[in-house]
Amino acid sequence: MSKSNETRYIFSSGELFQKDFSIVLRKDEKNIYLPIKDTRELYCFNDITLSTKMLQLLSKAGIIVHFFGYHGNYIGTFYPKEQLISGRLTVAQALAYKDKRMMIAGAIVKGIARNIYFVLYHYYRHGKNEFKDYLDWLRKDVPNLVDKTNDINQLLRVEGAIWAKFYQSFRTILPESFAMNKRVKRPPDNPINALISFGNSLLYTKVITEIYHTHLDQAISFLHEPAERRFSLSLDLSEVFKPVLVFKTIFDCVNNRKITVEKHFDKKLNYALLNESGRKVFIEAFEERLNQAFEHQTLKRRCSYKHAIRLDGYKLIKFIMEEKSFTPFSLEDKK
Amino acid sequence: MKNFNYNYVILFYDVGEKRVTKVFKICKQYLKHYQKSVFRGHITPGNFLELKGKLKKVIDPEYDFITFIQTMSESSFHEESMGNTGIDPESLII
Repeated sequence: MSKSNETRYIFSSGELFQKDFSIVLRKDEKNIYLPIKDTRELYCFNDITLSTKMLQLLSKAGIIVHFFGYHGNYIGTFYPKEQLISGRLTVAQALAYKDKRMMIAGAIVKGIARNIYFVLYHYYRHGKNEFKDYLDWLRKDVPNLVDKTNDINQLLRVEGAIWAKFYQSFRTILPESFAMNKRVKRPPDNPINALISFGNSLLYTKVITEIYHTHLDQAISFLHEPAERRFSLSLDLSEVFKPVLVFKTIFDCVNNRKITVEKHFDKKLNYALLNESGRKVFIEAFEERLNQAFEHQTLKRRCSYKHAIRLDGYKLIKFIMEEKSFTPFSLEDKK
Repeated sequence: MKNFNYNYVILFYDVGEKRVTKVFKICKQYLKHYQKSVFRGHITPGNFLELKGKLKKVIDPEYDFITFIQTMSESSFHEESMGNTGIDPESLII
């Protein structure tokens, strides 16, 4: 039995059109019906033809479409007309950027450290003693360092240090073929960098979808510079989920040999690009993790990781509007 | 069994030839086409009411028959199947 999903990943080329107020994908002369009421987002990884009529329906139904290029690179998002608009929140969010930026950015950096700590602690408990220094540093020193900084650049340096040390720990966790020397982006140059880039861009789009369903403004971010061109708030909120969703999926796929260098990477490009089957394996594992439920400690009910992203958005709203303290999602506390 | 939150429905229909397409068009907005006259999928209680209302308007209660089986989720029943459907309407990746 396949898992229910409101998300569809389209890997075949075809035509998306609207028929009888619903979505139809025409592929190899065959129609595949996608129920409009049970679709939340679509991911297009191949040549897809769309008409404005289709976009009109998608917009009405509030369905977000993410487009990816031939190499699995993120191109952009069809972002339907915003339905949840709150001028009050937008103003407050902009003011928070001015007055409380350090508080929010600091909370995010602490959140990253906490989640990495918990992810790596699992390996430490199973005999990887070399992590001890790093783990102690994450738990004791990082919160102090963050509290002491009062300048965003200093904070970004702390964040950079956390990630750099985290990437170094891969040498102990992952097999030789996935060795990581340095994080390289645009374009990634080896298998592990390719996996990280692909995973991060998937997570980034997921967060865009979740923020779409809140009143937050996508463009005003706190840790990242609110630049033009990008929805930078989703970069902020995705940060704490990276260790939880992206890296745990990578460790799972690589260590359980679901993804191997020979089979799932493009040989011609020096194994620096996931091929189609590799992408599918990764997406399936990623999606499964997103839909996994855990017992939420404050809500006292089951909640999926996907929903936890949205809850982080709500927490941010609460902080901005009602001064409730903002602590991003923590894997350890499950809240 | 009344106070449960049903979120999953299996729908069977048996309607006169004239009304088959009408019923089909309505169902495909809400559920996944599973077999020739069987739909199933996730549905919220609100959407379920909507679906029933729309179907009610189209069918002829004298001749037609539509039945819904509601369950909590797709994991609350066991399913066995034989043969080949062609395309899997429920897969994550198409």
